[in-house]
Amino acid sequence: MKNSKKMFILTEIILAGMVIIVAFAMFQEKIGEERGKVSVIIQNSDDNQWDAFKYGLRMAAQDYQVEVFVVSTGGTLSADEEREAVEHEVDNGADAVIVQPVMGADIQAMLKKVKSRVPAVLVESLAAEDEQSEKLPYVKPDNPAMGKALAAELLKDYNGRLEGKTMGIISEEEGAAAERRQGFLEALKDKGIRTLWTVSGVSSENEEHFLEMQEEVDFVIALDDKSLTMAGQEEASNNLHGALVYGIGNSTEAVYYLDTGSTRCLVVPDEFNVGYQSVKEAAESLGHFFRKPQGQTVSYTVMRRDTLFSKENQEILFTMSQ
Amino acid sequence: MKHKYLIQKCLEYWKKIKPRGIQPMIMLVFSAISVSSMLILGVVMYFRFSDTSREEIIQSTQKLMEQTGENMEDYLVSMRQISDAAYYNVIKESDLSGQDNHIQRGMSLLYEANKDNLRSIAIYNNYGSLMGAEPVASQKEDPNVTKQDWYKQAMAEMENMHFSTPHIQNLFDDDTFRYYWVISLSRVVELTDQGVPQQGVLLVDMDYSSISRMMTQINAQNNGQYYYLCDGNGEIIYHTQQMQISNGIFSENSEKAASYKDGVYDEIFEGEHRKVIVNTISYTGWKLVGVIPYSVFTRGMFNIRYFIVMLILLMAMMMAAVSRVVSARISRPILKLNDSVLEYEAGEQPEIYIGGSMEIRHLGDSIQRSYEQIDTLMRKIVLEQTERRKSELDALQSQINPHFLYNALDSLTWMIEGEKNDEAVFMISQLAKLFRISLSKGRTVISVRDELLHAQSYMNIQKIRYKNCFTFRMEVDPEVESCCTVKLILQPILENAINYGVNGMDDCGEIRVSGKKEEGRIILSVADNGIGMTEEEVRFLLTGSNRVRKHGSGVGLVNINNRIKILFGKEYGLAVESEPDEGTTVSVCIPAVPYTEENAKTLEAGHSFGAENGGLGED
Repeated sequence: MKNSKKMFILTEIILAGMVIIVAFAMFQEKIGEERGKVSVIIQNSDDNQWDAFKYGLRMAAQDYQVEVFVVSTGGTLSADEEREAVEHEVDNGADAVIVQPVMGADIQAMLKKVKSRVPAVLVESLAAEDEQSEKLPYVKPDNPAMGKALAAELLKDYNGRLEGKTMGIISEEEGAAAERRQGFLEALKDKGIRTLWTVSGVSSENEEHFLEMQEEVDFVIALDDKSLTMAGQEEASNNLHGALVYGIGNSTEAVYYLDTGSTRCLVVPDEFNVGYQSVKEAAESLGHFFRKPQGQTVSYTVMRRDTLFSKENQEILFTMSQ
Repeated sequence: MKHKYLIQKCLEYWKKIKPRGIQPMIMLVFSAISVSSMLILGVVMYFRFSDTSREEIIQSTQKLMEQTGENMEDYLVSMRQISDAAYYNVIKESDLSGQDNHIQRGMSLLYEANKDNLRSIAIYNNYGSLMGAEPVASQKEDPNVTKQDWYKQAMAEMENMHFSTPHIQNLFDDDTFRYYWVISLSRVVELTDQGVPQQGVLLVDMDYSSISRMMTQINAQNNGQYYYLCDGNGEIIYHTQQMQISNGIFSENSEKAASYKDGVYDEIFEGEHRKVIVNTISYTGWKLVGVIPYSVFTRGMFNIRYFIVMLILLMAMMMAAVSRVVSARISRPILKLNDSVLEYEAGEQPEIYIGGSMEIRHLGDSIQRSYEQIDTLMRKIVLEQTERRKSELDALQSQINPHFLYNALDSLTWMIEGEKNDEAVFMISQLAKLFRISLSKGRTVISVRDELLHAQSYMNIQKIRYKNCFTFRMEVDPEVESCCTVKLILQPILENAINYGVNGMDDCGEIRVSGKKEEGRIILSVADNGIGMTEEEVRFLLTGSNRVRKHGSGVGLVNINNRIKILFGKEYGLAVESEPDEGTTVSVCIPAVPYTEENAKTLEAGHSFGAENGGLGED
């Protein structure tokens, strides 16, 4: 074959190759325009404590070009229900999942299994209190620090003199509430205050006036939103025998009780950021299976009645009102 | 170092593959020109399209913002109208202590008519006490309105209406646990309580969601372009990423935007180049700001870029094929011509290709004619060379004509036997002279003097042999004798004159040799008064070669003529004039070239004497 003919064929082959590459790049760009789907599984998803969290999810979905679906869960999920929900979402084409884990080894194993298929991000708390659990990416409030901050506010109100005072603690059984309790009690260690009772996993729906029946204390400490709103409600109804309510919460209801004076002090976790950062983590993990999992703890705000409508607190209220 | 080596290797490779043929060269040049033209066209088209698209995006953004601004102004005007109506039609007309509840009813009517956009209408006195509100709600325990911004603003500038930035309404107790995000329109009003006028503040709280809805609508396109609203100080009223800004995740150049007048601005914010369009909302001083990052302009252009690149590549493929066909068509006649020339050079005798365009046809035709001329010339040269060799052989033969030698020696024998010793000595000396000049050391060119001496010797011998039956005279100008001539040209003519002219005449035969110089030429003539020839015979004498020789040395006049022409040029040679019974004159015409060693050698080397060749100079 003549040299010129060889060159001609070679040139045509190279040009054809370049056309194929450009066509492939165009095709890839169109595929890239498809948004990733992120499913969010949280306990009692319709509760208004999640308003700020959901607003954070929405904003991050907008910023990171993903679609976020919050799975509707009527109430508290068991480990089995949660596992089923996660598997159902993954099977239905979720590209990533954000899960508020229920404590238990099963969940941890299931999440590891899910992680091998799609990115999974834990929110609010870890699946188990061990190092293995930290290998999953997570976004949660700094729960022990919030417990300590609540204790600090209590001490501040009494100039550190709590000798002879009594308190009752109300919280959920496990997860974030346990970390907060631990932090709270640690901060009040050796301060002379006695814990007369500690109740977990109680809600106003199943136990009416439950708190009224408890032994009389100086302070009722509510370490999660549900417990705080219950305590606030009881205090508003004068069922707490004059006990002052201190608590951690993140709903407008919890804020309302602070606004009306039923609650003395409120520590609010930055749920907007928990939602925002979890979607960010999930979106950045899409298509990057070897990305090193990153754990994040978000901050909190201490609210008092007199500073409730400060500019910063109004913004927190804004996220809760969305 | 490695880099240089690589470049050198690349250059070497290019030299290796560089096209050398006409077709690849045409193809390469044609392709390069078309591809570069397409590239330039593509780039120009892309930039033109990009500019137009950018202008269109900016214009459509401006229109959308103008429309939204107008809607927002209408909304704010309606709020002002509510405030005016509440003040001028309700509050000013009634006394707060009035029993007919006129104020409450008026406010209720206004609220009902506008409740889609309103959160509440309230009147406070100058101590901050609630004097009336719609919808009727229980006031919070101690909202302390005098410390709230909207109240302070109204009191600070009593003559104006004031729009606040969005804030949480902190006035009423809502047992649904909700907190409302409102924009407050406040103004100082004159209240009448039990007939006593006093100052108060009228508060119209607008639902933030109305503004938010308008802004959400124009931000529906999630393509990187966005709109936000800020007040005159740059404080954000609405932003798609409001909370991200509060949390420090995102930042906005709102303070700068608030300082802009209405128009389109270019700015670089946090390393991002973007267009900012500002539209001021009347009455409030709020700024509606549209932000178009430059990435928005380019995002839509990605597909156009790919499309243009693909188009260029496909065009390049097509142009490569077309250029190959075109170059083959252009170069085919040249290649065919080249092939036929190569075959010719290889020794074959093909027809030179004549085809293609006019120029190539002309070239082919020209080459063919050149080759034909070369062939003709070559044949001619070969012929001349052959003739020359033959003439020289003839001349050599004439030097030792055995017949002539035999006759001369026979005559000598008779002389010696008849004891005519003096005559024999004379004849021997003449014979010696004859042979000396005949040989002339192997030279072809000798002087005219030697040629005449040779002729004289020959005639002396012949006269003895023919017993003086004819007379011989020689009349030659002395200036002629020192010129060059070809040797032995007179002897054959003299031999012919004896044999065909005067032989057989009884003592009255006469042969005369004359020589003269005329116009740079030498004319040597041999004239006899013999039997002469007819015109036909004269014409045949210098051209025909088949004439049967009756006598003589056999060296024909044709050969003498050829030798002269080969040596001196075509314009020289013999001329024969003859009349039957009158005699014949044969003239030799040669150039007057002075006889020198150098000239003789030059002539012998084959450089003929002619005007066109420059010739040999005369003294």
